[in-house]
Amino acid sequence: MKLSIYRFNPETGEPPRMQDYDVAPAAGDKKLLDLLMRLRTADDSLSFRRSCREGICGSDAMNINGRNGLACLTALEGLKEPVVLRPLPGFPVIRDLIVDMTQFFAHYHSIKPWLIAEEPPPERERVQTPDERERLNGLYECILCACCSAFCPSYWWNPDKFIGPAGLLQAYRFIADSRDVATAERLDFLDDVYRLYRCRTIMNCTEVCPKGLSPSHAIERIRIALLKRSS
Amino acid sequence: MARPVRPLPVFLNLLRIRFPVGAIASIAHRVAGVLLFLALPPLALGLDASLRSEAGFEAMRDLLSSPWRALVGLILVWAAAHHLLAGIRHLLMDVGIGGGLAQARASARAVLVVAVLLALVFAAGWLT
Amino acid sequence: MRLFSGQRAWLVQRVSALLILLLLLVGGVLLLFGPALDHARWHALATGVHVAPLIVLFFAALSAHAWVGMRDIVLDYIQPRALRLAVLSAIAVVLFAVMVRVLLTLAAHFATSL
Repeated sequence: MKLSIYRFNPETGEPPRMQDYDVAPAAGDKKLLDLLMRLRTADDSLSFRRSCREGICGSDAMNINGRNGLACLTALEGLKEPVVLRPLPGFPVIRDLIVDMTQFFAHYHSIKPWLIAEEPPPERERVQTPDERERLNGLYECILCACCSAFCPSYWWNPDKFIGPAGLLQAYRFIADSRDVATAERLDFLDDVYRLYRCRTIMNCTEVCPKGLSPSHAIERIRIALLKRSS
Repeated sequence: MARPVRPLPVFLNLLRIRFPVGAIASIAHRVAGVLLFLALPPLALGLDASLRSEAGFEAMRDLLSSPWRALVGLILVWAAAHHLLAGIRHLLMDVGIGGGLAQARASARAVLVVAVLLALVFAAGWLT
Repeated sequence: MRLFSGQRAWLVQRVSALLILLLLLVGGVLLLFGPALDHARWHALATGVHVAPLIVLFFAALSAHAWVGMRDIVLDYIQPRALRLAVLSAIAVVLFAVMVRVLLTLAAHFATSL
């Protein structure tokens, strides 16, 4: 199978280049990550992140044939050759397919991704009705792989100010949580030309989410929540 | 290991990115918006000329007679059609209609096709 | 709402869009139904007490809508502060001039028709 992979080594000082590979998948190789692991036994300089190899850790996000996805969830079968692999678009490249996620996680932290509840914790858990729990479905599953934010043009143009689809999906996950008491402050924080309103509903985020989530829908819900509050 | 002196590279070559149909409809919405903005001053002047005199009104009505101006007209009709249709698509999404991925893809495709068709229909109208 | 509230711009964009749509429909109905459009009919229609304010409203909605849209484009693609300010000012001047032109036009014909 033919691959063309983005290579960059910060120690040589040379600009990034594309390197061609030809590697035969073994019988058990089902996913792109399997092939990358095989490739690395031949070229141990090739760098990429990976951990759980089953779409839970979110480390092996990359641009595969022009679209962001997880190597471990991308089936080899049906991939157009040469398989062109590049780092996540718009993110600073540390080495090969490894990008600097510092800013991405800073946005995630900015939305206070934890439950804010002032009352002391009850004896057992903070209970929710099945309906209230249901509202978190499609939100809590996010693995922060950054496929969405790195495919969002609004995030490309303003990566320092726009929170991006991943952070906003997480923001809505806590706004939607019946146990969280900080909804007003959360909405205050988001009501900003940059943080929330750079989104133009292009829906590239929803297109590439490997978990099938819809950040664009979460953003729409935040806008509606803000509208309801001010009317 | 020494820290890199130069800034880290960023991969952002838009020609190497495979854009979904929604992104195409979106950038077209933006381009159409800029064209319509540029058309605003001529529109205001055209309103003035058409009201000022009989001759001005005729001139405005015959504006599309030369092929050059017909081309500009064709582009503006496309821009108006695309911007309006894509705008209605977004307004519907705001009220919770068509926000699912499959529907959004279908509506984006429809907007792209119908806007071009409308422009062609107008062009055919001028030529006959 | 705060100064940098993004919601106001978003709302202006939506409300002006609805107004534009509505007025285009009204305009379409007025122009399509009725006798063929000549200068006399157009003049009577556009400078009438009912339609002239609608034309002003239409251009006001267009200007507001264009302002938000163009501002968004500038915020996305133009990062240097000075250039950003210059382009935003130029856009504001154009939209202001359009509004003044439309108001002057209609005011002139309105005054003579009284």
